[in-house]
Parts: sequence; C-alpha cells; structure tokens
Amino acid sequence: MANATTAGKAAVKNGRPAIDLHVIGPIVALIVLIIIGALMNPNFLSYGNVTNVLARSAFIGIIAVGMTFVITAGGLDLSVGSMAAFIAGLMIIVMNALVPTLGTGWPTILAGMAAALAIGFAAGLFNGLLITQARIEAFIVTLGSMGIFRSLVTWLADGGTLSLNFSVREVYRPVYYDGIFGIAWPIIVFLAIAALGEIVMRHTAFGRHCAAIGSNEQVARYSAVHVDRARLAGYVLLGVLVGVATIMYVPRLGSASSSTGVLWELEAIAAVIIGGTVLKGGFGRVWGTVIGVLILNLIENILNLTDLVSPYLNGAIQGVIIILAVVLQRQKKATR
Amino acid sequence: MGVTNAFKALAVVTALALPASAAAQETSVIGVSIPAATHGWAGGMNYHAQEAVNRLEEAYPQLDFVLATASDPGKQVSDIEDMMATRDIDALVVLPFESDPLTGPVKRVAEAGKWVTVVDRGLSEDGIEDLYVAGDNPGFGRVAGEYFRQQLPDGGKIVVLRGIPTTIDNERVEAFQAALEGSGIEILGMEHGNWNRDDAFTVMQDFLSKYPEIDAVWASDDDMAVGVLEAINQADRAEEMWVLGGAGMKEMIKRVMDGDRMIPVNVTYPPAMIASAIEMTALKFVSNAPVSGRFIIGSVLITPENAESYYFPDSPF
Amino acid sequence: MQPAPQTTARPSAAAGHAPVLALAKVSRSFGPVQVLFDVDFDLYPGEVHALIGENGAGKSTMMKILSGYLEPTSGEVTLDGAPVSFASSEDAEDRGVVLIHQEFNLADQLSVEQNIFLGREIKRGFLLDHKAMRATTNELLERLETKTPAWATVSKISVPEKQMVEIAKALSREARVLIMDEPTAVLTRNEAEILFRQIERLKAQGTAILYTSHKLDEVARIADRVTVLRDGRHVLTAPANELTEDAMAEAMVGRELSNLFPEKTKTSAAEAVLSVKDFSIPGIVENASFELRKGEILGFAGLVGSGRTELMEGLIGIRPATGEIRVNGKARQIRSVDDARKAGIAYLTEDRKERGLLLNQGMRANLTLLALKKFSRVLIDRDAEEKALDRSIREFDIRAPSREIRVANLSGGNQQKLLLAKTMLAEPEIVIIDEPTRGIDIGTKQQIYQFVRRLTDEGKSVIIISSEMAEVIGLATRVAVMRRGRIAGTLEGEDINEDAIVRLAMGLEGRKAEGNG
Repeated sequence: MANATTAGKAAVKNGRPAIDLHVIGPIVALIVLIIIGALMNPNFLSYGNVTNVLARSAFIGIIAVGMTFVITAGGLDLSVGSMAAFIAGLMIIVMNALVPTLGTGWPTILAGMAAALAIGFAAGLFNGLLITQARIEAFIVTLGSMGIFRSLVTWLADGGTLSLNFSVREVYRPVYYDGIFGIAWPIIVFLAIAALGEIVMRHTAFGRHCAAIGSNEQVARYSAVHVDRARLAGYVLLGVLVGVATIMYVPRLGSASSSTGVLWELEAIAAVIIGGTVLKGGFGRVWGTVIGVLILNLIENILNLTDLVSPYLNGAIQGVIIILAVVLQRQKKATR
Repeated sequence: MGVTNAFKALAVVTALALPASAAAQETSVIGVSIPAATHGWAGGMNYHAQEAVNRLEEAYPQLDFVLATASDPGKQVSDIEDMMATRDIDALVVLPFESDPLTGPVKRVAEAGKWVTVVDRGLSEDGIEDLYVAGDNPGFGRVAGEYFRQQLPDGGKIVVLRGIPTTIDNERVEAFQAALEGSGIEILGMEHGNWNRDDAFTVMQDFLSKYPEIDAVWASDDDMAVGVLEAINQADRAEEMWVLGGAGMKEMIKRVMDGDRMIPVNVTYPPAMIASAIEMTALKFVSNAPVSGRFIIGSVLITPENAESYYFPDSPF
Repeated sequence: MQPAPQTTARPSAAAGHAPVLALAKVSRSFGPVQVLFDVDFDLYPGEVHALIGENGAGKSTMMKILSGYLEPTSGEVTLDGAPVSFASSEDAEDRGVVLIHQEFNLADQLSVEQNIFLGREIKRGFLLDHKAMRATTNELLERLETKTPAWATVSKISVPEKQMVEIAKALSREARVLIMDEPTAVLTRNEAEILFRQIERLKAQGTAILYTSHKLDEVARIADRVTVLRDGRHVLTAPANELTEDAMAEAMVGRELSNLFPEKTKTSAAEAVLSVKDFSIPGIVENASFELRKGEILGFAGLVGSGRTELMEGLIGIRPATGEIRVNGKARQIRSVDDARKAGIAYLTEDRKERGLLLNQGMRANLTLLALKKFSRVLIDRDAEEKALDRSIREFDIRAPSREIRVANLSGGNQQKLLLAKTMLAEPEIVIIDEPTRGIDIGTKQQIYQFVRRLTDEGKSVIIISSEMAEVIGLATRVAVMRRGRIAGTLEGEDINEDAIVRLAMGLEGRKAEGNG
C-alpha cells in the first residue's frame, strides 16, 4: 500500500496469485482421496459404489448447503441432526395417520412431504426468532432446541422406533433407491440444491447480505441491510432444507428413532468448514461445502473398503483430515 | 444355572411378589438408574423398566421408585449421587452404561449399606452387588456362531457387523469367533455398525461393494439387521445370503415366524431383564424371600418353531 | 519521482550525543511491492521526533521495523550504536522500545489495571500482587491526569481513555524509546494537551519519542525535529522550527498545495430539503430541531460526546428516536437505514473500519452493498457492478494496487474514498458525513473537500460533522453547534469562526445565538 501513487495507476485487473491453496485445497484433497480409493480397491469407482457414496452424502449435503448460509452470516445451528430425526418421526406419524383416509399411495406420501417441509420451516423459524428477536446466542438456542427435538422424537417413538406403514413404504421406496438415467434421486436433488445454493450465495442480494452480516454486522446494518430479516431467513432456509433431506431419508429405511441423525450437525458443520467457509462468518462457498461432504463420506467409504487401519481409528482419520483441511487454509492467511 | 432354569426362577419369584401382603410398613425408596433409549434394545429396556415401576408402585404402596435415564456414564454417576443425596434411597437397581466408570460410585452406595442390584453389565470389581441379573453375552455370540456352523457345514464367506465398541460387544464377538473355529467359515470383514440402522446400512453397502461373494451376514443386532437387509435389497443380492440379527425385535421375530428365507432365526437377549431385576429388588423389601445371588439369563435360538412364544406385538421393541 | 533535497540536521542541544535508535539504508518489501527505499533515520534520547507523510508513505512500516514488529528486507537497525535484530515486539519492549498502535492493543474484557500489566503481572510467589499493581496503576493514571478508574473494563471506556491506557501501559514498561502512531487522532484538544505535557515530561527524563500525526500544527508545536517520508523514501529531516506548516505539507505531497478548502457555496433562501423538529434520543439528544437547505453544506460542531453522531444515527433509523422528520416537506417515518435510503438520506459513519466497510472483503462487494437493489433483480448483475467500480475508481481517484485487494489493505484515505463512493452509489439527496477526514493525510483531505463541494454543485445537500474546527469553518455555509445533546446555536456566514463555535460548544454564549437557525 505504501506505493499508492504508482501502484494506483496500475489499478488494472491483475487478479489473484496463480495458485491459491485456499481455493483449490479441498479439490486437491478430494482428487487425492479418489486416487487412493481407486488404487486400493477396484470396486471403488464402480457404478454401484459411486452411487452409494453420492446418495448417502445427500442428506448431510442438503443440510450442509443450508448450514453454509447460516455460518456465512456468522451463525451456527447445532439442532439440525435432532431436527431431522424429529421431522422424520412426525412425517411417519402423519403418513401412517393418513393411510385410512388417503390410502397407501402417493397422496399420502405427498402429504407427508408437505408436512416435512412445513415442520422444517416451523423449526427453523423457532430457532431464528429466538436468535434474532430474543437475541440469544445461536449456539445456546440451537443447543437447546437440539435437546428439545431429540427428546420429542424419543417421546413420540416411546423410546423405540417409528416405522412407516409397510405398503406406503413400498410406494415411497423408489424416492431413495430409483432415479432417472441411472442417477439416483437423492443425488439429483442434492446436486440441484447445491447448484441453486451456489447461485443464491454468489449472485443474489441474500447471499451478499449473509456475507456482509458475517463479516461485520454493524457495517451491514449501516449499509441498509435488514440484518435480523436476513439471519432469520437463513435459519428458515436451513430448516426447510432439513425437511428436504428428511424427505429423501425416510424412504431409505422407513423408520425413525432417537438414534436417527445423531451427530449430523457436526458432520454438516465440518463439511462446511472443510469446504472453505469461514467458521466466524463473512465468507462462504456452497461448492466447497459439496466437496467437504464428499470428502467426509469418501474417507468413511475408503476405510470400509480397505483394511488399512483398525476400524477403531476411523474417527481419528476423519478428525485428522478435518483439522488438516483447516490448517491448510489458515496458512494462507498467516502469510498475508 | 441353565437358561430355562433362570427364567423359571424369575417366574417363581415374580409370582411370589405379586399377591404380596401390602402390610403397612415404612416406605422404602428404590432408585433405578439406566441408560437412555438411544437404540432399539435400550428403548425396549426403558419400556420394561417404566412398566415394572408403574406396576410395582400400584401393587405396593409402601414402595417408592426413582427412575433416571442417563445419556452417558458421567450423567449416570451424577444421577446416582443425586439419588443418594436427595432421595435417600434404600436400594439401587443399576444398569451401568460402562463398567469401569460406574464401579466406584456404585461401590460407595453399597458401602453406605444400601441394597445394590446390578443388571446386564458387571462392575469391574467383584462382590459389590447383592444381586446380579444379566444377559449372557458370550452365549449370545456362541449361539449365533453355532448356528452359522450348522448352516454352513462346508465353510463359507461371511461378514460381521459389530456394535458400539464396548465390553459387551467384545465378549459377543470373541465367543462368536471361538464358536466358528475350525469350521472353515471365513470372516471376510468386521466393521462397527454401532447398533444403529443408518450406520449398518452404510457399512453393509460398502461390504457389498468390496466382496463379490458373501454367503451370510452376522448383523449381531436387529436394528443393524434392518439396515443390512435394506442394503442387500438395494444391491439386488438377496438370493445370495441370509442375515442373523439378535435381541429379538418384534418385527424380526415376526419374519422368523413367517419363515422368511433371509431371516431364518434370531437369538434372544431380552430387554425385559431390567423388569425382573426391579421386581426381585422390590421383593426384598416387601417379603422375606431370599433374592440375592447371580441370575444369568441365557441367550436362546429363536426358530420358526418356537418363535411364537417370543413374539410380543405390543412391546416397542 | 525526483530525489528530494536532502537536509540533515543535528538534534537540539538538549538531546544526547549519540542516537539511541537508528536506521541505515533500510528497505522493506511485501512480496513484489517495495514500501521502503533505503531509509536513513536516527532518534536521540530526549528528543521528540515527528514522522510525517501521506497515508501510505511508509510511516507505519518504518515504525514497525523500529519496534520489532517487522524485519527490514535490507539495511540495518542499530540500538545504542550496535546493530540489533529484534526477535519480536516483546524483545523490543524488553529493551525499552515500545510502540503504541493506532488501533489499540487492549483486551476489551479486562480491566484497565489488568491491561497495563498484561503479560508482566507483578507476583508474590504464585499469586498476583493486586495491591502493588493497583498502586502502580493509580499512580500512572494520576500522572496522565485521567479520571478513568483502574478497575474499569476497557470495553466500557471511551476512545481517548483507551489511548491514555495505552500510554500508561507504555510508561509502565519504562520505555526508553516511545513510538506513537497518531496518538492524537482520537483525542480532544484537552486530552491532547495532557498528552503533550506527558511528552514534555518524558522528554525531560531523556526518553526518545517518535511520533506521527496528520495535524501539522501539533507537529510544529511539540516536535524538535521532523522527518518527512514520501512514497517510501526519506525526503528530509530538519529541526521543526526551521519548517513552516506549509513547507511540511509541500514536502509530504511533493507539490505546492493551493487552497485547502474549495470556495464556499452561496446559499440564499433556498428551500429546506430536510427539516427536523423536536428530535430526541432518550438519554442522549434532547429536542433537536434544524433545517438543511438545498445545495448547502451544514456543519455540525461540538465536543466529542455532545450527541452529534447519535443525532444523525437517530435520523437514519439506527437508534430509536422520537420527533418529526420532513424530507422535501413530506413527513417520513425512518426506522431503518433502508427507510433512510428510500427517503434519499445517506450517512457516512465516522468509524469506517467498524461500521463503514467490510474489511475482509473486496472493493466491489463493499461498493455496491448499500445500493445492492440497483444491481439485482433476482440475480446480481456482476458486469454492472464492475462498471460501477470502474466509474468510482475514476471519479473518486481510489488508488489500489489491485482490484481484488481486501479493503483492510487499503490506506485510510482510499478507504474513505471508497466509503464515499459506496454512499453516493445509492444516489442520496441528502448526504451526512461524520468526520470526513479522520486519520487522512493532507493531500487526500483536499481531494475529499473537492468531492464534497462537487456534491453541492450537483444539487445535493450535505451535513458535515467534524471535530476539526478548521474543517467546519472552511467548508460549511452554516454551522450548528451541539452541546450536551442540544443544539446550542447555529452560526452563519461571517459569524462562523473558532471563537464563536467554542463559546457555543462550551456553553459560554448562553442563549444569545439561538434562534439563528
């Protein structure tokens, strides 16, 4: 900056440095993992395995897209895993209850899906209003609602498991297991939501406002950003996306219990951070989150497909990768 | 004590207990501390505990129960300390989350002169409890192993899903492996499915990708069996293998009863053992029946022939 | 860039014989960008040495090298005549060289006392010796004539008080060399006077003081010697009494400065675009009423804390307030900055780093944030944004090494220009500028005055809040003076002078001037 006079005249588009670890780090990690996987097991790149990994990434992935917005705006939501279990439980109860009136076909399922989205909306609104109107820390609010949702689903299931009516399940099942052109529905929905999310983050006022609030709430407020409204919208969006994830989840096993969605919140947050979004807020990228989710699921897949390490150590390997991903991004900053 | 004998003993004790004389006595407080319902089996166990407490409080006005569920060992220790400090319990029925962390606190309860009943998971130190009621974890694995041996006399390839890494899981798996010794059955892979449907689904998907040939699956738990079956169906390999779960979830018993090819049998590990333990402890305070000692409830093989007697459609598990 | 005439001068007789701290041919680069070029410099015990230069001239870098925060790329730092290479700023502090940052280095949630002893707590055995620390703190604060109590939490004290705490902290380190980065930028006159007395006292004790400021009158008053930097190069070092303020300014800018302030606009009886009546902010502003006429610059003067900033924040809906606001005769309800924007009112905050700009983001995102609606229907039109940035860079002469630079890395002057560009993008009719030139060098100042003047030519109406008396007097056609949350009076034309403003601000004028508005 010292050379303002001379440098100023050269204020042209000279862009960023050619290689930015912060930008390509997650992509490199993903590629390395894919190469390792392919070398370790010939089935790794088979159609079946690729479909498995992508489809199971979908739930966390869809949630993590929403989480990207919340974290970018400087917030956090610890309740999404419990919320998913709660929505799944209620959705199953609603569908089972509708069987006598609507039958066991699509009308019941569509009603169940509508219910899932509505409950997700309401749950997100609940979190968001407490955070923006009652002005309680997001961490505390969602820690509380995490317990509330988890208890509610345990209570609804009487400590056991809620199972979807068998005939409804048979009709609903293809939503997870089938697809078009050989691509499973969860993958299609996940990628569509990720693409939309990326556009919203990068090319709409809402995405810009989230980043502004996350980097400095005061500045945002002085710049005519409706801070509370935008933050509330973030939590509601996340709630609705949890609903979408649940819609894809329920047909997989047709059941929900108190163990559904345990630790999903941490996986989603980890995926967001691995993807390069800043935990403190101010900068977020949805495509990075998608890569983060894939990295997390690939590690698990590779560990299952190979006998490299004791299964006791799976968690440790994941932990190391998460920390490494963040360290790589830090280093960039430190040299600035 | 044999399997059936243990059951009989419990039945006798229970029968004695129910029509007991509700003589006006001093109120006794019995604390019950169990893990929270984090998976199917624990859910069933919670159900049976609550049910037993309700039933006994109704039958014996002089008994008072304090039921606490804990989501981790630390919380369970606090629960027990609270019971001692604020409820002044006369007896404690505890199903320890983990053996080691609970040994000290339970020992202090025993040292304070209280009656202690330990359920399912033994403490790390012998001689603390007055009454021990437990399932037979090595038996659970052995019975399953013997069935595999019988079904695959010429050997075969199987995969194993393990539970949450704990003593229970280790005992089961060790006994299972011991039972298979020399049978020519090859265990292709073992991974932890954490007694969770979703985790089991994922692990099984990856087993299916990894191994082109699998003859049978020991899912070692019915919750995990649900996820395993779903993954097998998805891969369209149902014709190739069968699955053995365990613990007697009602849906699985039903399938055994119906003669499902994929679920030929099941192995018991009754969550109702907590109810027996609570009943026997209650008996100590309402009668003079001798209730101390060790009661091991053995694991039995449920086959289409005997399945009906293990089918409880109203239980949550 | 021509080599400037080199003048070297001996320090005044009062100073010691050998320099305590010196630089020889020191250069420093950040990546490919060189910011210091072969700078020579020396600092003697018992002298006050002012370092002046435009924003971005390399003053901060030089001070950081002197105090161990940065290492030179080439050249030599000598302490007491011996070459030295500080391992860290702590190392430098241990050797008696202390830098007081412009942005304070205080732990917000700790008390004044805890901050002063942070990292150097006095202990008795393993425990803290609270009594000794409290005593030392009280003694230091007393010396600095501050009323701040030692137990006060730093987040709760005012900016000048924080400055005093920083100075107290440096004093507690028994600094031999004290380097101060624009210490008076956030101080009122009174507070600055106290600081100057401290400087005199330290100087008499033989402390060497290096000091930067954009306020040349101060420099002329307290400095023994002056060193001027321009574009990373040493321009001159001379005894302060041999330099006039004009000479200093010219050496800094490298060209002759014409009149600092543009010609004033003539506002006759133009109609009021903004009229504010009985405007109150609970506990801060009471029944303020004023009018802003079309095409005029209305100055707001008064002491720091007299409620000027709060009044304007109330007007734009950031603070809850009561009262009537009319824009072009029409009553408006303003409850948020967005409402204000719709009413054509824009406010440039005095705190550009915390309230004005997103420091960790680029120029484009900052520029369009306020007027984002103009650039987005469903999606944001990035091309339009780029074009707007091109236009703003041209129009406001924003100098940045690259378009992608994070705003934090722009100099204060360029940040202020960007903030101005951002505000003007919303096309307001009424522009309220709070402290338009705080922490900005004289060349950029002049530019900003020209921009402000141009706004009035375009028919916009401007309110300027400033603690720099000269600025208000030089720019405003009318001046409202606030005192303790009320508008004490309004001055116009010939009546605008320092004396009149001070009298109103201090409450010496009684009610005489009121009613002029």
